[in-house]
Amino acid sequence: MTPRVIVVTSGKGGVGKTTATANIAAALALLGNKVVAVDGDVGLRNLDVIMGLENRIVYTLVDAIEGNCRLNQTLIKDKRVDNLFMIPTAQSKTKDAVTSDQMVSVCSELRKDFDFVLIDSPAGIESGFRNASAGADEALVITTPEVSAVRDADRIIGLLESMEKSPIFLIVNRIRPQMVKKGDMLGVSDVLDILQIGLIGMVPDDENVVKSANEGKPLTLGDGAQAAVAFKNIAARITGKDIPFMNLEVPKKGFFARIKDAFGGGR
Amino acid sequence: MIKLKGMTGSIVRCVIPEDLPSADFNSEFGKVMETGGSILNGARIVLDFGARAISEATVTALLSGFVWPSGASVAAWITYDAVSQELLKRAGLRTSEPAPSEGGPCGALVLHRSLRSGQRVEHRGDVIITGHVNDGAEVLASGNITVLGRLNGLLHAGCEGGGEGEDPDTVVVSRCMEALQVRIGSKIGSLGRDAEWWGKRVVASVKDGAVLIEYWPFVKGENAGGVKEETA
Repeated sequence: MTPRVIVVTSGKGGVGKTTATANIAAALALLGNKVVAVDGDVGLRNLDVIMGLENRIVYTLVDAIEGNCRLNQTLIKDKRVDNLFMIPTAQSKTKDAVTSDQMVSVCSELRKDFDFVLIDSPAGIESGFRNASAGADEALVITTPEVSAVRDADRIIGLLESMEKSPIFLIVNRIRPQMVKKGDMLGVSDVLDILQIGLIGMVPDDENVVKSANEGKPLTLGDGAQAAVAFKNIAARITGKDIPFMNLEVPKKGFFARIKDAFGGGR
Repeated sequence: MIKLKGMTGSIVRCVIPEDLPSADFNSEFGKVMETGGSILNGARIVLDFGARAISEATVTALLSGFVWPSGASVAAWITYDAVSQELLKRAGLRTSEPAPSEGGPCGALVLHRSLRSGQRVEHRGDVIITGHVNDGAEVLASGNITVLGRLNGLLHAGCEGGGEGEDPDTVVVSRCMEALQVRIGSKIGSLGRDAEWWGKRVVASVKDGAVLIEYWPFVKGENAGGVKEETA
């Protein structure tokens, strides 16, 4: 298959780019693809922690770019899954340590050995985002159903379009169906109406995501959690499989549950 | 494929599709010079990039590889990317549509697209947008502005007016009004989400020195949404 380089980006910080990168990378590897997740957030690395590989870092992406080591020496193999690798970035450098041209050549090098290269982009629209995106062909834009995050996603989509990235797909993260139902949160259809790009996944708000991030074990390496299923579905759709979207509607309550709510027991 | 289109006032519009890879610029502009060489020689051209961002390298490459060799002169560089507009303006290049006659008004600019956050349209004349104007997008027009989609961004109609020269008939029309501010001439209307016309079809105009929102279509004297906050 033709190697695919995908940047995971959002504009706004804290919407789940790194978590999505780790989980989708692990899910793609579980599907039998050779995958590398690259931390493109120079100076504020987090991907290593989310993937639980921070204790195995010897060389970083910046070391390879500065010529202190070869690129393949920066690769950390995840022992839990075959074919899953990560390249950490430097914590002690700034965004200026990497240029767009250098990222393009890093990605060209990685294309030779991997089916998928996932790049975790920093927040913002400045050089860090531009460098992280430079070597990618495609983009996954993450947003949460909040007005500010959607506005930033809209800005990022415009920039990605002008950088000729295609396709650009949307992931709506941290959906809380109960709030959407009450009208306190934007629904996925509202977000799509504004952003007008293809949807590749809807991820429900799930406390297991925080737990797994703290444990350094991507959710998709386990089973059961709703968010894990959502990320696995996204990985399958990236590979071209036609997977129906999860039903995130609030289930109707039965008679006894409604009686319990009425007496304050349903909180 | 790059297309050449005739405009009023002997101007030729050179439309560069947004999906054309920039790596193909050299070859595509070469084809335009081959096929349209006689049209371009001595012509005033508008280079229309749509929402594409333009870099310093693109500008210099186009000037040396296309504009000067073809004998054309650039009347305007059109891009909706606000950062690129600033770059072009700093180089003294015109970024708004040229008038058919020098100093006169332009025809209406019709955009069959939505404007994303960070995109900006400036036009000397009326503007009609058939898509949405998203939060963070801006439209500045010397004439009226009509948005057929949802309006979340910032519109400034009559943006060259103000003071004595302000046209009292300038309006903003929106089929789904969800903007928190609208500007007409020198007046700014600050609007609220709790207004009864939020999300509805409205006409905004200046009445008695303030921005007034009315339902559209409206019957004169009825349906007025009330006078909103005004800033000179």
